[in-house]
Amino acid sequence: MNDIESKLRTEARNLLEQGKVNAIIGFAPGSLKFTTTPLITGDKEDTDRLVINPFIANNLSVFIHDIEGPVGIVAKGCDARSIVSLIQDNQLAREDVFILGIPCPGVIDLRKVEKLVGRDRDEIDDITRDNDRVTVAVGGENKEFSITEVLRDDCLSCESPAPKEYDLLLGEDNVVVGDRELSRSHIRELESLPPAERWEFWKNEFSRCIRCYACRQVCPACFCERCFVEESEPQWISPLPRWQDNLVFQATRVIHVAGRCVDCGECERACPVNIPLRSLTGKMDEIVEELFGYKAGTDKDAPPLMTAYVPEEAEDFIR
Amino acid sequence: MAITDISNRKKFPANGNVYLPNIAVIEKIIEETADTRTFHFNFKDEKLREQFTFESGQFGEYSVFGVGEATFCISSSPTRRDHLECCVKRVGRVTNALHRLGVGAEIGVRGPYGNSFPLDYLKGKNLVFVAGGIGLAPLRSLIWNVLDNRNDYGNIDIIYGARTPGDLCFTYDLDAWEKDSSVKMTTTIDREHEGWSGRVGFVPQVLEQAAPSAKNAAAIVCGPPVMIRFTFPVLEKLGFTPEQMITTLEKRMKCGIGKCGRCNIGDLYVCRDGPVFSFAQIKDFISSEY
Amino acid sequence: MYRRKRKILSGDNMKKIKKKDIGKLLSKWQADFTVFTPSRATGVARMEEWDGKDTDFLTWYRNTVIPPKNNILPNMEAMFRFQKDEAGYQLEPVTPEQKQIIFGIRPCDARALTIIDMVFKDTYEDRYYLTRRQNTVLVGLGCTNPYESCFCTSLGIHPAQSADVDLMLTDIGNELLIEEITDKGKELLGKSSGLTDASSNDEDSAKQSRETAYQKVTRKLDTTGIADKLQASFEDKDFWGKVAAKCVTCGICTFLCPTCYCFDINDEISKGSGARFRNWDSCSFSLYTKMPAENPREEKWQRVRQKVCHKYEFYPRLFDTIACTGCGRCIRFCPVNWDITQTLESVPEHSAV
Repeated sequence: MNDIESKLRTEARNLLEQGKVNAIIGFAPGSLKFTTTPLITGDKEDTDRLVINPFIANNLSVFIHDIEGPVGIVAKGCDARSIVSLIQDNQLAREDVFILGIPCPGVIDLRKVEKLVGRDRDEIDDITRDNDRVTVAVGGENKEFSITEVLRDDCLSCESPAPKEYDLLLGEDNVVVGDRELSRSHIRELESLPPAERWEFWKNEFSRCIRCYACRQVCPACFCERCFVEESEPQWISPLPRWQDNLVFQATRVIHVAGRCVDCGECERACPVNIPLRSLTGKMDEIVEELFGYKAGTDKDAPPLMTAYVPEEAEDFIR
Repeated sequence: MAITDISNRKKFPANGNVYLPNIAVIEKIIEETADTRTFHFNFKDEKLREQFTFESGQFGEYSVFGVGEATFCISSSPTRRDHLECCVKRVGRVTNALHRLGVGAEIGVRGPYGNSFPLDYLKGKNLVFVAGGIGLAPLRSLIWNVLDNRNDYGNIDIIYGARTPGDLCFTYDLDAWEKDSSVKMTTTIDREHEGWSGRVGFVPQVLEQAAPSAKNAAAIVCGPPVMIRFTFPVLEKLGFTPEQMITTLEKRMKCGIGKCGRCNIGDLYVCRDGPVFSFAQIKDFISSEY
Repeated sequence: MYRRKRKILSGDNMKKIKKKDIGKLLSKWQADFTVFTPSRATGVARMEEWDGKDTDFLTWYRNTVIPPKNNILPNMEAMFRFQKDEAGYQLEPVTPEQKQIIFGIRPCDARALTIIDMVFKDTYEDRYYLTRRQNTVLVGLGCTNPYESCFCTSLGIHPAQSADVDLMLTDIGNELLIEEITDKGKELLGKSSGLTDASSNDEDSAKQSRETAYQKVTRKLDTTGIADKLQASFEDKDFWGKVAAKCVTCGICTFLCPTCYCFDINDEISKGSGARFRNWDSCSFSLYTKMPAENPREEKWQRVRQKVCHKYEFYPRLFDTIACTGCGRCIRFCPVNWDITQTLESVPEHSAV
């Protein structure tokens, strides 16, 4: 157990004991190798199960609205940005969340590891990180990689890996050994394609979509009680999983989360058929920054981007 | 009382494809309330028109091609076969599309599905019908069925209510039952309303005041879920056992034949083992799943 | 518990084929059937129409992501087409005609088909599912490398033996042993080439291979009395609340589950003609049971309860079999690592209702 873990467990336990929160949301060890699972509990004894390791993938802020009253939540940089964005959208009150900030050195992407070692994750014996080197023990051998080869793409371009909004920061503010260009390489590749080829690419990707809506469900920015795909009068898109409707669903979803998406990458990780969703959300984030100079989740007092009109609007087209 | 006996289930006389509707033509439309219509229809195919049989309580799946399919009970009685009827409240996509249709329009009809009111159990008993709003539709089929065989049954009490006078459905039936001396008809509305000189009160309360005897009786209840939940305790108070209380449930349905999975209550499918149930069968699930 | 009779033919009749000759066999079959094999060509592992050359799948294939149920109960299928003319609506049912072979289906997925056959045959026959089923020959392939998430053995399924397929293949190194299981399988063998007779040594290797696979399934679940336990806990809101807390109610577990079969029905129309389709639906979605007046499963703990109880209580009460084959996909792909084995193991002991 590392230092941050023990601090976290103590703090979480205290919060529950003192009645400052009704529940703690954090990570516990998962039932599979190299996996953690969300722990949502009002029982202080459960806090001994909290862990911090390179596999704390989920964006836990999706669970806050399930809990009545104040909640203590373990938040990486991206999670904290989501919380700020939700506060901007009036989905939660700042005083109802106690943010246990975790300076995040980045989460390991198991799909990348599997590809690098050519084995599935349950065939790997161990994955350990030592600063910017990662060692994968598989088949009796130890294979070493640079951290930039195995970190999630969204971690590689993360500008605030430690939460800027928090109640308690469990560790030192940090910087991730990132590589923004590498993180965005797929987007750049797509941009270089002529439109017809880009269309073919996405048509192909969305032919696999099974409309499980995992991308939407794990996304904290998708907080609508009734999603537009569930409307029947009018029916915006067909519930049938045709590539056309799948593509329109995702494109619309990405536009709906513009200004709210913090690039946590959960949509892409959750997708069971490996659609590179971050290439859409990532591009959307770039457009938002370019057009409005806005980054989601950085200022809890700022009006939400898409729902606020400011008379001094910079753009000509809207004046 | 084999309410869920499916061994004698009539299968739809189609060409073996249970998902293929048969074409029916709308012959008459009655505007029951501002948002409820009764459709009189008949199958286009002559042979089918003659062959088609059903029992009170069963339902059909009605299609507006291109829009979808929805579930409604067959609200006409099997004793009156010159046409079939269903009653539709406008609440969503398919029902709105149905309301936009006129006389002569073609719809698809699959059915009859589900079980039916247990006439064998009800014969010789005093019957208490309790209905609210559009809930009268399935009961209406049974009431006319019973009245057309009046001597097989004992006393008949009908207690029917709606929110306002404008929400009362089947007013032509209410008039006929009011005039029938062998029927005790009570119509009520929830709250005082200008121009209404009749009974006022929620259906469960009116039922409690009417206090029909539970001796050799059966109660058949249908209405909004909240009304049913308040009616059962009243019936219990009046001495009705769970077996004596019969209802017909509504669930979101798609296939109507127990395959798509969504209408279940435990291991019972409302479309296949219901929609007619006795309270004895569903009381364990009544709080959670219905 | 559902059991199916299994014919085991004597060693004299057993055949085998070299792995490097599989391509020739599949080609021969392709003359009369559409052959589906495990493939990653579309970007995710699923059964795809064989491209005529790839047999590399024998090296990476453990199990597909999308279950083979997709070939019998597709994610989207047209049921009938309709057209309006002067005479009114004309309906034209769609008949699945394709004769297909699913090559390499695992015992868990094959058993799953046997399990869901029951609901599609019950009372009213579903001709779409049953026609596809009839037109499909299942060539099973025993596992050699089960996942850590597999728990088929706890549900009476052997990872390398199956009575639910038409031919059963066992990996014995460079070769695959072939057993006839049904007449359909026998007929397919008659249309094969490149097969040689298996020796008793081969049979021993096969036995060894099967046993090794069995031992590799380490995840266990005790299902004794689970239906009754679940029934007694039906109203335990605390328990189900805890169980459902981290579920995000997406459809991954139900869509990737080989025994989930719930579907939705939707129409499409354009300029007076169109079709009625059915597509996969999930009890995890709130829309699944939504009615205008209310939704009996508005809250997620009710939906999670439905999913668990349907598989381990309701379906067994109707068809005498648990609607789960321990394939482990729900555990592997759940974005929050919600684990049905953990849930079932923690069902509290309540006194019977």
